[in-house]
Amino acid sequence: MDRPVTHKPVTWDTSKMDVKRVVDVIRVTPETNTSRTPVDKAPDPELGHDVIPAARYYSPEFMMLEWERIWTKVWLLGGRADDIPEPGDYICTEIGKESVLIVRQHDGSLRCFPNVCLHRGNRLRPEGIGNAQAFRCMYHHWTYGLDGKIERLPDLCTFPQGGPPGMTLPSLPVTEWNSFVWFSLNPDVEPFDDYIAPLKDHLEPYHPERMAWKRDVTVEWDCNWKASVDAFNETYHVQGIHPQLQWYLDDVNVQIDCYERHNRYLIPFAAISPRVAMPSTIPPAIEEIMRHAGMDPAEYEGRVSDIRRDVQLFKRKHGKAQGKDYSALNDDQLTDDYHYMIFPNVALNVHADDIMMFRQRPHASDPNKMLYDVWVFELVPEGQPWPERVKHRRFKHGERSIGQVLDQDAYNLPTVQAGMKSESFPGLWIGEQELRIRHFHKVLDDYIYGPGGKQEGDL
Amino acid sequence: MDLGLQGKKAIVVGGARGIGYAVAEILAREGADVAISARGEDSVKDAVAALGRYGTHVVGKPCNVKKADDYKAWLEWAIEALEGVDVLVPLSSAGGGMGSEKYWHNAFETDVMGPVRAVEAVIPVMTQRKGGSIVLVATTSALEAMGGPQAYNAMKASLITWGKQLALAHGKDGIRVNVVSPGPIEFEGGNWDMIKGTMEKFYQSQLRQQPMGRLGRPEEVAKAIVFLASEAASWCSGSHLVVDGAYTNRTHF
Ligand SMILES: NC(=O)c1ccc[n+]([C@@H]2O[C@H](COP(=O)([O-])OP(=O)(O)OC[C@H]3O[C@@H](n4cnc5c(N)ncnc54)[C@H](OP(=O)(O)O)[C@@H]3O)[C@@H](O)[C@H]2O)c1
Ligand code: FES
Ligand SMILES: [Fe+2]
Repeated sequence: MDRPVTHKPVTWDTSKMDVKRVVDVIRVTPETNTSRTPVDKAPDPELGHDVIPAARYYSPEFMMLEWERIWTKVWLLGGRADDIPEPGDYICTEIGKESVLIVRQHDGSLRCFPNVCLHRGNRLRPEGIGNAQAFRCMYHHWTYGLDGKIERLPDLCTFPQGGPPGMTLPSLPVTEWNSFVWFSLNPDVEPFDDYIAPLKDHLEPYHPERMAWKRDVTVEWDCNWKASVDAFNETYHVQGIHPQLQWYLDDVNVQIDCYERHNRYLIPFAAISPRVAMPSTIPPAIEEIMRHAGMDPAEYEGRVSDIRRDVQLFKRKHGKAQGKDYSALNDDQLTDDYHYMIFPNVALNVHADDIMMFRQRPHASDPNKMLYDVWVFELVPEGQPWPERVKHRRFKHGERSIGQVLDQDAYNLPTVQAGMKSESFPGLWIGEQELRIRHFHKVLDDYIYGPGGKQEGDL
Repeated sequence: MDLGLQGKKAIVVGGARGIGYAVAEILAREGADVAISARGEDSVKDAVAALGRYGTHVVGKPCNVKKADDYKAWLEWAIEALEGVDVLVPLSSAGGGMGSEKYWHNAFETDVMGPVRAVEAVIPVMTQRKGGSIVLVATTSALEAMGGPQAYNAMKASLITWGKQLALAHGKDGIRVNVVSPGPIEFEGGNWDMIKGTMEKFYQSQLRQQPMGRLGRPEEVAKAIVFLASEAASWCSGSHLVVDGAYTNRTHF
């Protein structure tokens, strides 16, 4: 007789790790899950134990391969759909050396064009969001309609060859999903639904369309974009650079799920890391979680180890009255960090009340530089006014704080990048807690060399 | 120096970790029978098991001092299990906190009424036995500003006043009462352990204010408490001993 397979979300033996306690985390199981977001543990892929060559992080040749076979081939995150509700609203965003315009049409649909004038190549718009009745190039005033058609070409009669083919900007694939807009530099890109699978079920229950901009920041970092991706795809570094988070989350009892090209991990929040002794008083950061849920930590009579579950129950009970509809989420989603990586460059910490996401963009020409976009959205309770959109800010690493935790993440990256170039460093020595990093590189390989196509000697 | 604790019967309320556990351990090592409590069932069980190694009679049961009836029953149970009581060290604490009126209730119930209910339970027994020793545990935060104006600091201060007056009232029955005020004490799972991990800068600033360049350890306070609790301190009563490695700035005239 078949016996049900027990849900074993954590694959390593936590008792043998550098921990003070073995913690049995109460979790939603596939049987008790009430959300469309699955909780099933995906079987770990067999990816071996090889060193991941460091040169992938600084070689200009590898950067070129990434450009040709990834950035110009896949679907990419462009921005927030609610930034461009009206005809003529547009998002101008850059990826590597390219820049695109994503434009709301009169019929409500979206179109995407390369942000480059067909005359002598000028950029039509600087990066950012805006509204335009038409896109007039600043140089010689060639003017394009919202649909990309050339509406005016001054002195057309002086171009004996006529205007450029079709008198229109080329169109690029674009779509809207889950309150975000996505585009591709690849005219023949696969359907978005195929690309994003299986994450529609995972992420739609969070209803990001009910959340409003809270933060919009771009930081120039001196590291390869993949060093940033890696930094958010493992919890192993919590004990290293985020010691304070050990009194906020459980960095040890983490479920990792790798899918075809995307992956995720699930981190219990409002919990105490098994790496530290159970404290007698409630850690201030967990008090914050409680207050945010509407609880008074001073009233709390339970044990610190019970707080995570009690916050879940409290939110379940009182969410509705607070104008927060949690009905599409399971109990764990009310506290925990479900952390997704959408290949190749989006990391999302999704929570019941907010989303903190990062878009990690390569530099146009230098593999040692990148752009780190921090986007935070917060649930707007029903009946409350929609807040004004925050302004985008851009600066260089170290010029301003981006908050304690992200500062800690950022601090190391330039020295990681520098160290990787050392001739005595062959590459990344990856452990089980870093499986998502290995999976990420496997997906990179699939794109660059074709599935199974990587040869001896390939980077 | 003989502390004269052999065969004595001691109750330590809040004795499952930190200073309280260190007090219970020294008492047991010195030959006393000990009863301990705390809220945590596992921590009490573990502490009782660990204290057993000294071969005295050690008992413990979880109890929340905020639940007056349960707590009174626990105290009766402890006195019965020990067949009397000579030493009481009640050091349950709700810790600090600001921003909610509830913190005042918590500090009152745990830091003040915890000791008060215990003292009321043991005084008749000690009076009958013609002697006993009580040590209350306040804090240097009652003496010098720490962490903002909060219930914890003010409620702990009340123990210093009350302790002295208890000593005056019960001296005639051979009962001594003293107060110990520890400065910052660090141990695994304690408050300062968490502060070190979560508020690194604040922790370092405290460290810089420590004349000996470190925080205290539970046993360093416990030894002072046990001394005052013991026969060796027979002429100490109504005193208030600051055990802080010279951390406080004021002169204790
Ligand atoms: N550590 C320091 O830096 C410091 C400095 C000055 C003064 N003090 C004082 O010294 C004493 C001991 O402090 P500590 O830091 O060693 O330990 P602590 O973390 O304050 O714990 C004290 C003990 O009280 C118990 N307790 C707390 N609430 C209770 C309740 N409602 N009912 C029954 N037991 C309760 C705790 O166990 P459960 O949680 O399992 O109940 C624990 O065993 C306290 O009075 C504290 O205020 C400490
Ligand atoms: S470059 Fe745009 S009009 Fe000349
Ligand atoms: Fe991090």
